[in-house]
Amino acid sequence: MEFQPTIISFLCNWCSYTGADLAGTSRMKYAPNVRVIRVMCSGRVDPTFVLSAFQEGADGVLICGCHPGDCHYHEGNYKCLRRYHLLQKYLQQMGVHKDRLRLAWISASEGKQFADLADEMTATVTALGPCKIKEVMETLA
Amino acid sequence: MEEKRIGVYVCWCGTNISKMVDVVGVAEEVGKLPNVVVSKNYKYMCSDPGQDLIIKDIKEHKLNRVVVSACSPRIHELTFRKALTNAGLNPYMFEMANIREQVSWVHTDREEATKKAKSLVLGAVARVAYHEALDKRTVEINPASLVIGGGISGLSAALEIADSDKKVYLLEKEAQLGGHTANIDLCFPHMIPARQILGPKIKRVENHPNIEVFKDAAIEEVFGYIGNFNADIMANGKSRNIEFGNIIVATGLKPFDPSSVDLHGYGKLPNVVTSVEFERMLQSGKIETKDGREPKNIAIIHCVGSRNNDYHEYCSRTCCMLGLKYANQLRTALPDSNIYEIYADMRSFGKGCEEMYAETARRKIMFLNFDQREGIPQITKAHPEDCCEMLIEMKERLSNTNIEVPADMVVLLVGMEAREDARDVAHQVGVSKCGNDFFIERHPKLDPVATTTDGVYIVGSCQGPKDITDSIAQARAAAARVLATITQGTVEVEVTTAVVNEDICCGCQTCVNVCPYTAISYDEEKSVSVVNEILCKGCGTCVSACPTGAIRARHFTDQQILSQIKGLMTTEMTEV
Repeated sequence: MEFQPTIISFLCNWCSYTGADLAGTSRMKYAPNVRVIRVMCSGRVDPTFVLSAFQEGADGVLICGCHPGDCHYHEGNYKCLRRYHLLQKYLQQMGVHKDRLRLAWISASEGKQFADLADEMTATVTALGPCKIKEVMETLA
Repeated sequence: MEEKRIGVYVCWCGTNISKMVDVVGVAEEVGKLPNVVVSKNYKYMCSDPGQDLIIKDIKEHKLNRVVVSACSPRIHELTFRKALTNAGLNPYMFEMANIREQVSWVHTDREEATKKAKSLVLGAVARVAYHEALDKRTVEINPASLVIGGGISGLSAALEIADSDKKVYLLEKEAQLGGHTANIDLCFPHMIPARQILGPKIKRVENHPNIEVFKDAAIEEVFGYIGNFNADIMANGKSRNIEFGNIIVATGLKPFDPSSVDLHGYGKLPNVVTSVEFERMLQSGKIETKDGREPKNIAIIHCVGSRNNDYHEYCSRTCCMLGLKYANQLRTALPDSNIYEIYADMRSFGKGCEEMYAETARRKIMFLNFDQREGIPQITKAHPEDCCEMLIEMKERLSNTNIEVPADMVVLLVGMEAREDARDVAHQVGVSKCGNDFFIERHPKLDPVATTTDGVYIVGSCQGPKDITDSIAQARAAAARVLATITQGTVEVEVTTAVVNEDICCGCQTCVNVCPYTAISYDEEKSVSVVNEILCKGCGTCVSACPTGAIRARHFTDQQILSQIKGLMTTEMTEV
């Protein structure tokens, strides 16, 4: 059977989660691999959430927030962006491919963009294959 | 620690979910988890019997946590929280798994969809196990309201509230009240003069003892939250601070500028005018070309800037009726003229509008159809021997022929777009915009005038193109919503704010710097950060930034989210 990745996704309540809901109300079809966790703001996405997702066996992590300038809380998405860059460096040092973590801006009206993003991310992570970090950590432990 | 007794309810939503997800199977599987006391499936969980099922189970099985797996929490989270409250359980001991908008409606493989649904329910069960009871905070409502925009929508909303003996501050950017309605001659479909609708309203607003009007006004900054807003405003060159409990945004629209549509020649050909300019001509009672002649051939072109991917994809909803209105007014004023309606699709959907279309068609108006996808009509200057000033080249769709239409005057029915300052307004009052910069309502069907910010409402064309009828209806609807909160006197607000554990806080003040609401201050004496719960809006940015883990986001704690991740990744049913 073809490898089916699991992708944990953090969506902000105001823009991205609403955008993902819109994809649903508009009956757009996309890959079933993304599992959504709702947070109030992408600024709430603690780096440990991302690390924990990989540690629990996720093959990819997708963080979505409001577009720059549109954050419901003014600038939480910028805070998220800064952390994302640091987190990318850290993950790569741990041997996690950069494409396994993605940050994207999805507005409340971008259902189509969310559906496309879910498909793209699924295709990318499928091509990368299973993330071995969980096993590596278990071996080290 | 108390025993965790979780009830799980998987909704069919008729066939909406059950068609793509094995709801019975999911409920059965999840029922095997150690903390799950009952796990049921039901046709419509949001229905009264559905809610009663939860309430009965909470009492009978002494449930202390509930998971409903159904639609988006954005639709029914409050419904189920209320059910918990009715059963005597704290409403925050609840979590929803969204298996409709984010599963059954978007996936096509039943097995995969069921697998995902199960995983989302496991995540919710794992999360709810760490939920804590939170007490709702009640705040008083300042009975004054702020209405932003003095067009037909803002005026209508202001009057509705003021007539109920409540104070209204009405802000208008321009020196005059009335907005775009002031530039309209007659209103379709009844051909009532717009000034008959607008004039009395303006007069009443200006003389109303409960309305304070600010003209030439601008908002500098809005502070606070539902019930307790205040704003710094500038009006007539003077700054002032006003306090109010609710905000109605009625900032209106901007007419599309057709200069960018090269083929229409606006700005180059003197007798190509916009609907806005033509209204002015009608108001003055003189329909004439730039050089003072009576036009013999008049063409009205529809969908300028609308329903065209080069400009705006959406329909501006009023132009078709404007076009019909002009045809009628022209036929009466110039009985011998040739009138051409050049349209893409005739959309006469309002009450009395289709009737007006039929009536207009009997008045010797030539209706010519074009297909937007095959190009828009091109207007050029005619030769002297053509006996008209301009020629409109187009492919007529119904007869499938290329034709030239003579014209001495062309009226472009320009669409509506969001105002350029929509972004500033959105920031000031905390509303979201859709891709076209119109403001987004909380729910398109269930909550069309509210926004995601409590106490902020949107009415009229700032929400999307609208005619006067719909604008007034929305304005009065929003006013009713505002009056309802004022009558109640208090409102419950979210308590999902951040809180500092003083024992762990090291006083580094990282949180103070990241807070967008200056809700965190530093207590010099104790050397710790302190969150002002009134100002905190619960974004959680400080929580993620805190290096010692001293700040908790209520209802979005690290433990709750980490547990949800674990639940989502669970494969063995004994783990969660």
